[in-house]
Amino acid sequence: MSAAALKASGLGLSRNETGIRFPHAEEATALEDLQQRVEAALKNGGWDEPWRVHDLEELSPAEMTYLVEKGLMSPGFADGTGEGRGFAVYGDEVASLEIGGGDHLRLLGFRTGDELSVLWSLLSQLDDRLEGTINYAFDPCWGYLTSHPEQAGTGLRIYATLHVPTLMLTGRLASIALELVASGMGLSPLWGGAGGIIQVSNRGRQGKPEIETIQEIEDISRDIVEKERSVRKMFMRENPIQVRDHIGRAIGLAQHAWNMSFPECVNLLSAAEVGLELGLVDVPGLVGQAAFDAMRRLQPAHVVMEHMEAKQSGLESPEIDQVRARMLREIFAGARVLS
Amino acid sequence: MFADESPEWNLDFDNSDTCEECGEVGAVIHLLRVENGSVSHIRLCQKCAENLAGRTEGMALVLAVPAIVGRVGKAKEKGETGPSPVPTSDSQVCTVCGTTLADVKETGMVGCSVCYQVFGDHLRNVVQGGEEPPAHLGKVPRQGSASDIHRREVMRLQRMLRELVECERFEEAASVRDRLSELERAAPGGSV
Ligand SMILES: [Zn+2]
Ligand SMILES: [Zn+2]
Repeated sequence: MSAAALKASGLGLSRNETGIRFPHAEEATALEDLQQRVEAALKNGGWDEPWRVHDLEELSPAEMTYLVEKGLMSPGFADGTGEGRGFAVYGDEVASLEIGGGDHLRLLGFRTGDELSVLWSLLSQLDDRLEGTINYAFDPCWGYLTSHPEQAGTGLRIYATLHVPTLMLTGRLASIALELVASGMGLSPLWGGAGGIIQVSNRGRQGKPEIETIQEIEDISRDIVEKERSVRKMFMRENPIQVRDHIGRAIGLAQHAWNMSFPECVNLLSAAEVGLELGLVDVPGLVGQAAFDAMRRLQPAHVVMEHMEAKQSGLESPEIDQVRARMLREIFAGARVLS
Repeated sequence: MFADESPEWNLDFDNSDTCEECGEVGAVIHLLRVENGSVSHIRLCQKCAENLAGRTEGMALVLAVPAIVGRVGKAKEKGETGPSPVPTSDSQVCTVCGTTLADVKETGMVGCSVCYQVFGDHLRNVVQGGEEPPAHLGKVPRQGSASDIHRREVMRLQRMLRELVECERFEEAASVRDRLSELERAAPGGSV
């Protein structure tokens, strides 16, 4: 099977400045000063690509959610409040920086496919440059310091996005989760569990070099995806009618629905991808990574920002589900179930 | 597009660490699951978690994290029963940021980088179960002194050497050993 194990790669790199309190304990003036110094450094030249500094006050809820959906902003930061918070996007949305969230600085990187190592080298470079402005809080034993001592260390959170609907539906994910936890990893749903899309992530303190933890997560991810594929084949052998029925119904719904919620849409795309990998369906609109890309594009704020006239209509608009259904029909135009 | 870790996923529900299945103290794992669209949470010991994992047909388990995450604040009991606790008073304070040991125990958070020294014993006790934290072998700030960076590189290579020898990759081990002796010759301020 040649398809990549990781549907998407994400990294978050936390850093704090020494000499001032961590954000939750610091006063507004000191945090605002930090924000201004960092933003000035971002605006000054000398970066390989330009930073775009956003004013958080001016972002509409849809724009904010759009950033979260793209992996440029963490959900926790989007929900946060307080003084001295800033946000900037690097280059053509290849990375971003949260200022004054849970940590003074948090660099983020997200992209589709198996790209963890590439992302790490990019974030590490940006980190080196930021160090010219910020004197990092660091201890030779603990590593990079944060307000949460159990997270001190490399400051690196690694997120591998996997597509494992069969493991999830059959409950096999539970035992995998236990193995993960035993090795200091965690597992969480990306979209409330829809479509069997999960993220595997490192948890807690690790003294290991970053690249070793990345390697470990990649290996674990590949093992999990291997299991998923073998369970799919087993299911197909033992319950071919049930599998074909499930996938065939998904194709039918995707081709004919006029109202489509995001979770249902992810479930349908997920089923279609399983059908493609088992050779049960032909969907010209979906090739390679495209099923996951389609899921990304069909998220609520993506639909609003990219496909609707009234961008301020909000994320509650019933029109979103209608536009999504239309887009889904277009993706599945020409799709057919093979016999 | 990072999985949400809002408070409801952060599992900081109460101070108990008893297993909800068998009632034994020492729950080590939190499981969140989605059943018919609603999220439920359960805190379990390893044994019960394994039993549960064996009978989850039809249930979508969606999140599992070690219970230690986010438990720094609850280490009061643990600290008192832990190995050779250093006598400290809750009124002990970090004069740089004003955080007291009582604050750290209450919130699980420290206020500034100096807190790591002031409350070092407590933090080691809670985060590392009283043991020395594993040596930090990851990236270090560039502004660290040359000897710091050198020392770290030597530690990294020594560990690599140990691991290569353990799995009998002697050829690679030899080249790491060469690199180590080079480094030791070049050590700033003499031997390592
Ligand atoms: Zn139990
Ligand atoms: Zn302090």
